[in-house]
Amino acid sequence: MHLDKYSELVERLENEEFEQVELGAEVYQQLLAIYLYQNKLAAAKLLWMRVPAKLKEDKELMQLNLLNIALQNNNYADFFRNIKYEWSERVKSPVEDLLIKQREELFKLMGSAYVSIYQNNLLELSLMSEDELKHACAALNWTEELDGDRVILKPKVQEAPPTRGNDDQLLKLTEFVTFLEN
Amino acid sequence: MGSALENYVNQVRTLSASRSYRELAEELPKSLSLLARNWSILDNVLETLDMQQHSLGVLYVLLAKLHSASTANPEPVQLIQLMRDFVQRNNNEQLRLAVCAFYETCHLFTEFVVQKNLSILGVRILSRAIDQIRLLDTQLTPIHADLCLLSLKAKNFSVVLPYLDADITDISTVAAECKTQQQQQSQHADANNDAKYFLLYFYYGGMIYTAVKNYERALYFFEVCITTPAMAMSYIMLEAYKKFLMVSLIVEGKIAYIPKNTQVIGRFMKPMANYYHDLVNVYANSSSEELRIIILKYSEAFTRDNNMGLAKQVATSLYKRNIQRLTKTFLTLSLSDVASRVQLSSAVEAERYILNMIKSGEIYASINQKDGMVLFKDDPEKYNSPEMFLNVQNNITHVLDQVRQINKMEEDIILNPMYVKKALGSQDDDLTSQHPKTFSGDPTD
Repeated sequence: MHLDKYSELVERLENEEFEQVELGAEVYQQLLAIYLYQNKLAAAKLLWMRVPAKLKEDKELMQLNLLNIALQNNNYADFFRNIKYEWSERVKSPVEDLLIKQREELFKLMGSAYVSIYQNNLLELSLMSEDELKHACAALNWTEELDGDRVILKPKVQEAPPTRGNDDQLLKLTEFVTFLEN
Repeated sequence: MGSALENYVNQVRTLSASRSYRELAEELPKSLSLLARNWSILDNVLETLDMQQHSLGVLYVLLAKLHSASTANPEPVQLIQLMRDFVQRNNNEQLRLAVCAFYETCHLFTEFVVQKNLSILGVRILSRAIDQIRLLDTQLTPIHADLCLLSLKAKNFSVVLPYLDADITDISTVAAECKTQQQQQSQHADANNDAKYFLLYFYYGGMIYTAVKNYERALYFFEVCITTPAMAMSYIMLEAYKKFLMVSLIVEGKIAYIPKNTQVIGRFMKPMANYYHDLVNVYANSSSEELRIIILKYSEAFTRDNNMGLAKQVATSLYKRNIQRLTKTFLTLSLSDVASRVQLSSAVEAERYILNMIKSGEIYASINQKDGMVLFKDDPEKYNSPEMFLNVQNNITHVLDQVRQINKMEEDIILNPMYVKKALGSQDDDLTSQHPKTFSGDPTD
């Protein structure tokens, strides 16, 4: 699965942290990036708190922490601004995955939270170019409207696909009823 | 090597060879002070002993090493490695005979690594120690508190959380262990600390859950800590009570229900947690402005108690609660109205709060930027999705497990001879008092 992509790596890194003294910045960089990707914000916050003081000056680690802070505060604009950075090979893959995930999440949230939103506000939040945004909105079937000279986007509510129960669920339900009757 | 120490080694080797572990466990505590006095040559002793075969002997050497750590000042990494080897390779059968000594070793070890600022290295070691010594997965040992302390110090909770998540059904205490093992090492007076480690476990546990923002569970842990039956108040309970008040504001917006049987709270703790009660009272007024002022006013006290971060969380929670309250009254509201009603500085800030709350599922609403309005909606959950079914299913399974557990525990109590005796005894008393004459000639009296 997608979420488990890094679980082995995380386990290895966490073990290192538990058993060695004087870790290098790389371990913390990778762990932080992966925690962010996995949306374990509490873990990421604590990780930053336990990074030794002298490693806190590591550039890349600081940059990752900016992402961390932006995500803690739900500050999308800061997040997309700070993610534009020359990431090293070690953290590149989780950070890229994180970007894709956050974009998706942003649009999902906007779709559910807004009936209408000014295009320039969304541009500011997502730091996309106008064309990119148009493209993304078209893919989601959002409509545009003009309010004076400003463009308003109207998100379309995403319908969840209908699902049907299966025999397994029925079995469980029967079990509960039997328990209650006895 | 001094001759006394040679005697120690010989004693360990002979008794271990003849598998008279029980005898050995009774003899060894007497040598402890001797070992601690000779801290400089303990490494030589260790060389002659085998972790697996002579676990008891090694345990006491380790204990002596930790006892003398302040004078001997051993190399931390080396001692930690020794402890790691020990918990990985010791013989469980021997360890069972010296549970108290093992607990003490773990306490001292915790103290040692905290002092050396190497807490993170001790976390795995103690978790392994707990796995070895506990009899059930749901048994609480005094080491649990140490593990929590180290996790807090190391700011790493991935190891300790599974332990906290398990509901405790049984408690292992030094008092009980020592009685069963006939080890009267009361000079250590460790039995008195049972309550301390119990309270600390729940206090630290509550702090850990607060840190990972699992406030409901944190509230439960603090509640256990403050409702522990007691005649006098412990400072652990007082600190837990302060945090309990704050967390209950975050979770429920008022003081969470506290069982009636806890006079300690009313008598001792309330007067000593004045600031916090003021905070609760102001919170009840739902005015963020007043709350901000009072937090500022008491900020010194909150900072002294290390509760300032929590106070800020309380302030944020009031904004959220006020917004939530609006959703009950209004269908639509302009963003600037929201801002003025919950005392936020601007419509933009209100929008940010609302967006965050929508994201975390605390309210259901949609924002219309065109007219600057918010449209509050009902919970769209129709309880017909497979996820919800799974959720319900998990909850039911959990409840069923608890019912089973309670039934089992009740059965245990009913079958307990002490209980039976007491229950029948009090019945007899009742009968005696009602019909004194009938029983006056009873020969068993």
